[in-house]
This record gives sequence, C-alpha cells and structure tokens, in this order.
Amino acid sequence: MANESRRKFLGACLAGATAVAVAGAGYPVLGYLAPRPGKVGADKLEFASGDIAAGEAKFFEYQGTSAVLVKTNAGALVALSAVCTHMGCIVQWEKDKQAFLCPCHAGHYSPDGAVTAGPPPKPLAKIPFSVAGGKITVG
Amino acid sequence: MLIKQMYDWIDLRLGAREIVKKQLTGYLLPARINEWYSLGSVLMVIFGLQVVTGMLLMVYYVPDPEKAFKSITFIMNEVPYGWLIRLCHAVGSNMMVAVLFLHMFSVLMMGSYKSPRELNWLTGFILFCLVQGISLTGYLAPWSQLSFWATTVATNSAAAIPVVGPYLVEFMRGGKLVGPPTLGRFFAIHVVVLPAVIAALVALHLFLLKRTGISRPPEGTKECRNPTPTGSYSYESHPGGVPFFPNYALQDLTSICIYIAAFLAVVFFAPNFLFTPDAFVPANAFLTPAHIKPEWYFLANYQTLKIFPSELLGLSVQVAAMTLLALLPFIDRSPERNPLKRPLFLTLAVGGILLWLGLTIWGHYS
Repeated sequence: MANESRRKFLGACLAGATAVAVAGAGYPVLGYLAPRPGKVGADKLEFASGDIAAGEAKFFEYQGTSAVLVKTNAGALVALSAVCTHMGCIVQWEKDKQAFLCPCHAGHYSPDGAVTAGPPPKPLAKIPFSVAGGKITVG
Repeated sequence: MLIKQMYDWIDLRLGAREIVKKQLTGYLLPARINEWYSLGSVLMVIFGLQVVTGMLLMVYYVPDPEKAFKSITFIMNEVPYGWLIRLCHAVGSNMMVAVLFLHMFSVLMMGSYKSPRELNWLTGFILFCLVQGISLTGYLAPWSQLSFWATTVATNSAAAIPVVGPYLVEFMRGGKLVGPPTLGRFFAIHVVVLPAVIAALVALHLFLLKRTGISRPPEGTKECRNPTPTGSYSYESHPGGVPFFPNYALQDLTSICIYIAAFLAVVFFAPNFLFTPDAFVPANAFLTPAHIKPEWYFLANYQTLKIFPSELLGLSVQVAAMTLLALLPFIDRSPERNPLKRPLFLTLAVGGILLWLGLTIWGHYS
C-alpha cells in the first residue's frame, strides 16, 4: 500500500516536472512564432492631389492592411479599406463601371463602399482623410 | 479511466498490448548492460532537436546571399527567443558530432562492431560521415566571413584529387568560387537531402539492431566472445535480462537529461564558445580573414593537409584512415570483445585517438 502511494506520488512528480519542462520549452517557441508586436505600416499617408485622376482609384498599404483612395468622375474623394467584408479578398476597381468588384465571390460595392450585389455582409470600412494645400492626408 | 478505455479501443484494433509486450516490456536487454548503450537514444533526441530548431529557423532565415546574414542577425536580435533557437541549433550540431564520437568510441572499445554486426557498424559509420556533411553544409548558411571562407577552404581540399578534382570543386560550389549558387545547393542539401537520408539510415540502423539483438557488454577481465556463428541467421536473445521498459528506458532518460543539462549549460553560459569574431561579420568575397580555421571536428583533417608536402598525399592518408575505420569489422575478425584481451587493437585505438587529439590541438594553435 505504502509502495503504491509512493509510486503514485513519484508518478505525479514526474508528470509535473514533464509539464513544467514542456511549458518551459513551449513558451519560447510560441514567442518565436507569434506575430511581432507593435504597429505595422504608417498611420498617416500623404498624396499629392494630382496623383489621382478623376474616375481612378489608388491602392496603398495602410496600417498593415490594404486600402484604396477613389476619385469619382464627379470629383468626390473616398478612402476605404480594400479588404472585402465577405472573405477578406482584396477588391478591384472597375473603372468602366465606376464600382468595386471582389473577384473571389463576385461581391459588388459602389465607389463609396456600399454593397450593391453579392455576398458581402457589410460595406467597405471608411478611412478618415483630409484635403489641404493640394495634399490628401489619409489617417 | 478514459485513458484505459482509449487504450482498450486502440488495442482491439491494433493489438497495442502485444506490441508493447514484444517491443518494450518484454524486450530483454543484457543483464549487465551499461550507460554507454544509451548514447544512441541521446543521439536520436539531438537529431530530433536539430530538426525542430531547424524548422523554426526556416521561418525567418532567407537563403539569399544578400539577405542571409541580415536574417540571422534579425533572428538573433529582433525575434523573441530567436537567439535561443539559433544557439540551440548551432550548439546542437557540435554536440551531435561530440556524442557521435563517444558512441563510436564505446562501440570500438566493447567490440560491438564485430560479426554479426558489421552492417550496424557500416550504417553507423555512414551516419557519422553524413552528420559531418550536414554540419558542413549548415555552416555556410549564416553567410558570415567565417562560414564563407571555411567553406572555401573545405571545398577546395577536393581539388587535390587527380584529374577530376578541379571539376569536383566547381561542381560542389556551383561555380569557380563560393557564391550564391553554393548557398542555394548547400541549403537544399542541408534542409532536405541530408535530413531525409539521415532519418532513413537511422531507421535502418535501428532495424539492424533489432534483428541482430543487442550485444552483451564485455565483463571485467573475463573472456567475452560473441556466440559462435551457426551458419544461419540467429537473434541474440538475453533470457533473464532487463526489460527495455521501464528499466532501461529510465537509463536512457537519465542520459538524455544529463546531455540536456550539458547542452543548455553551453547555450546559456558559453554561447560564443563556438564562434570566432569572423562569425559576426558578413561575408566579403574580396577580403579573406587571417587564420581561417574549420570547425573543431575538422581541425585534425585540416592539420593533416598542412603537414604533408603534397595535398594529394595528405588527402590520401585521410581517405586510407577513414576506409580502415569503415572496414574495421572485416579486418578485425577475432571473436574476442574484451579490450584488455585485445592488446594490438587497444594500442592502435588509443594511439589513433591520441594522434587525432594531437592533430586537433596542433590545428587549433597552428
């Protein structure tokens, strides 16, 4: 009986020591593989107003993700996230239709990001921007 | 209870209890088996650690001459615990060669290479050569001055081979000099070809071990001979011996823990022990550093090449020594395994080891 309880105690100690060793080895591995902390990409971006013509869209990287700046034929500016709200693909600007198309599952968006057709559940996220002195500042 | 139910479920389908009885609890080893026999298990753990740390390094390492050194610097300085993963890999490669030396030493001294275990020895010897090869190819990966010029010197030694030598050097390097093609082919050999071949040979080595049975250790000064060959295959069993599990598995675990302690002591307390200042400078193909030396386990080869007036002679001596070692079980055919009853072997073995040590020290200080 005493032997049995001693065996159980030693077994528990061995299991505990193994768990500590596995955690000790696993923690650095998780830290090594985890995404790097800190901000990725710029918070503010500047473009010259002349960089984008009417009816065109300009894609760029913003805060670690893809974004797009659109100048409609009427001259209105819109800054949007270029990530489709359905499955995360990057939308494409169809100049002739003046609309966004997500090529993955045919999600359609208007130039201001509203869903016009297809499976996207939400409009494209809007990004703040300002225009001053011939410069467009996004963010 | 749940574990027992799962075990029963697997047992019903695979006969797990039968496998465990045959391969673990009922697998009997010689009654006087000693600690030296656990070095094979230690080596398998080291190889496993090298594979895991190597895979982790590949997450950030870029095998491009423009980016390789930067990626290593990034791993060492920026990635959380990157220094730990990289040092474990670099120190582990050296430890693997060191433990392999010890494993071979024990097999030599206990005469375990003798008939009917010639194939065990041969596969082990090939593994020893492959481990040196994987260390050499991995050495170039950081693309530092040390790795660049050590590879230049190491690959250049093949030029001494008559007729095909210069072509062989160019083939190994992928060009006349060490350069981007060398890194590409060394990287492929290091991460794909050699690990796969080593894993396959380890499996063959274990298969041979299981088929011939573990050799009895020579005991004291008594006569110790292998069983007389019967002319047909026979498995050397050990009735009344110790079970592999749990008895010898505990010895394996003890040796593994001692190894891990020694390994981590180097990683944490002497991490730069294996690096010279040239290891921290990016490779420069136009600037050869002074006194470039290979890794410690190649120092004897390096010094041998320097001693002989002709490179071909130096290389031939090394090839002869390696061939002799590889074919040892076919040359030393006496069944006696006790080292004290083999004075000629013992004198040659101790002399050979002292010569190797002397050349290594000479190579280090030359």
